Amino acid sequence: MAEEVHLGLPGPWAADYREKADHYTTKIGGVPDWPTGDMGIKPEMLQCSLCGTKLCLVAQVYAPVVKLNIEERIIYVLVCPTPECGPRPQSWKVLRVQKCRNVEQTEGDGDELGQGTGPSSTSVPEEQIDKNKSHDINDDDFDLDALAEALEQAATLASNSKKKNKSKCANAPIERPVLKEKPADLSIPVLPCFYIYYDKEQYRVKGAVGSSSNEFPLDKEMTDTGNYEEEKWDGEKYEYDKAIGADRTFLKFKKRLDAYPEQCFRYSYGGKPLLAATKVQDAGTCRFCGSPRQYELQLMSPLLYFLHEAGKGSSNYGPSNWTWLTLIVYTCSKSCCPSSCGGRPCGCCWDVAEEEITIQEDEAV
Amino acid sequence: MADRGGERGGERGGERGGFGRGFGRGGRGDRGGRRGGRRGGRQQEEEKWVPVTKLGRLVREGKIHKIEEIYLHSLPVKEHQIIELLVPGLKDEVMKITPVQKQTRAGQRTRFKAFVVVGDCDGHVGLGVKCAKEVATAIRGAIILAKLSVVPVRRGYWGNKIGQPHTVPCKVTGKCGSVTVRMVPAPRGSGIVAARVPKKVLQFAGIEDVFTSSRGSTKTLGNFVKATFDCLMKTYGFLTPEFWDETRYVKTPFQEFTDLLAKPTKGLVIEATVETVEA
Repeated sequence: MAEEVHLGLPGPWAADYREKADHYTTKIGGVPDWPTGDMGIKPEMLQCSLCGTKLCLVAQVYAPVVKLNIEERIIYVLVCPTPECGPRPQSWKVLRVQKCRNVEQTEGDGDELGQGTGPSSTSVPEEQIDKNKSHDINDDDFDLDALAEALEQAATLASNSKKKNKSKCANAPIERPVLKEKPADLSIPVLPCFYIYYDKEQYRVKGAVGSSSNEFPLDKEMTDTGNYEEEKWDGEKYEYDKAIGADRTFLKFKKRLDAYPEQCFRYSYGGKPLLAATKVQDAGTCRFCGSPRQYELQLMSPLLYFLHEAGKGSSNYGPSNWTWLTLIVYTCSKSCCPSSCGGRPCGCCWDVAEEEITIQEDEAV
Repeated sequence: MADRGGERGGERGGERGGFGRGFGRGGRGDRGGRRGGRRGGRQQEEEKWVPVTKLGRLVREGKIHKIEEIYLHSLPVKEHQIIELLVPGLKDEVMKITPVQKQTRAGQRTRFKAFVVVGDCDGHVGLGVKCAKEVATAIRGAIILAKLSVVPVRRGYWGNKIGQPHTVPCKVTGKCGSVTVRMVPAPRGSGIVAARVPKKVLQFAGIEDVFTSSRGSTKTLGNFVKATFDCLMKTYGFLTPEFWDETRYVKTPFQEFTDLLAKPTKGLVIEATVETVEA
């Protein structure tokens, strides 16, 4: 059963909630970083199914699958920002964006922005980063990310100017659309943004048997209780944990959470989710290839707490009305590509697939 | 017996160090003797507490000041840090650690069962039972479970209503397994007339005088303690003439602290003055 579980722990806050990063960054909130500027996503995929408002990003997780040799794969968790829709499960959406596997072409093909592969980011899940050091590492890489952005923008400007020159020189001046970065769409609300660093969960049964040096106050008590040896606590048997307000599943959930109280999400491809309640909905099958869905990651309550804290004071704020304990994301077990150019995997285009998400609510509310 | 006692002491000592739990704090000097239990000294851990439930978030923000607001609406408390914040004077004591054994093919597997009672000696008491492979884990887990099960205890008078309430308001009885415990109001100065083990629970509850009578196999002290606790839980369940007035409902904290009606809740939403519960 010992599968590795990677925890997403909170890193630094973004200086500006709308700042862009690259699609290798794992972050919470902010603006989704699509791998290419024009993803060809149907607009209704980015709209709330209940009210039609444009969805905003909750989490963007760079999740390559080494076993299936897919390196370019990102999972976006989106939600409707209106307070009424937030608590309802239909307003949540999960998109899995990946490049068809097979070829490792450079990305320059259809991509005017010249987005090079970003610097190896902190978000490679298999890395085991020491928690203490990772703050420093993250800061450095964060600067590298900003540097990469600056370089991209400079490249954009350079390529734009080059294009104009080219089009002048070419015989047939085809009006090429200059693909600048789209201006930040200020109309959609954006959740507070912070970055994530990974840590592996080290969960063992904690048996802290320390030294018996601080025995002094205990001796007296032991002699007292020694007098009552005629009391025999007979007939005791093993008893499962029980509390008035919480059942066994929740107590186990809380115990794992208390080990790492700041975990924002748990990642374990194909593993078992940490349930907060025993009732689990069936994940179903992938709608494109029919293979069964499997658990990949789950968002945890501390994420909600951080967003709530960051948004305090702003009215009409979505996360204030969220009451979920955990959100479990199920993805296609084969990580399929729904579309491919002409039926064969080409390695140049990005596929977008919608996946399943289930909410486990805090039923006291 | 003696060596078992010694082992217990060793484990308990270790438990103190183990309470640091990854926050890096080993022996904390501010803890007094175990008799008095551990108090205070937990502020650093509470600041690091990231609440999981909605109720936890409300408590963390300070929107809920007294635990009575939670009891009024019978909201389930799922995080022990809520209780730590709302009931500051909570003391705990380990009543017993007993080994429980299970026969397996490879011999016997021994686990330790810890009984912990927490209370502030002023109307709030909780009982926690936890089995674990190691004593320290069992004690730690039992303390958390005890805090999760903190209940209010109603106190009343035996005769004249002079001074503060000192005894149970009426005759109540609680049952667990075959043990039934009956508590009868006693005049001031009687003290707690009970066996040693339930006396501890009643002291932590803040009851000063009471007569008790028990029945059943009180040798099973686990059941005895749970029966006493069950009895204390029932003190607020007993309908006395003070409660004959029409209840005036109050908004639950979830409704009070939200801007809009997100979901229809089961509780009623009639706003009115809070009804005071007198002793």
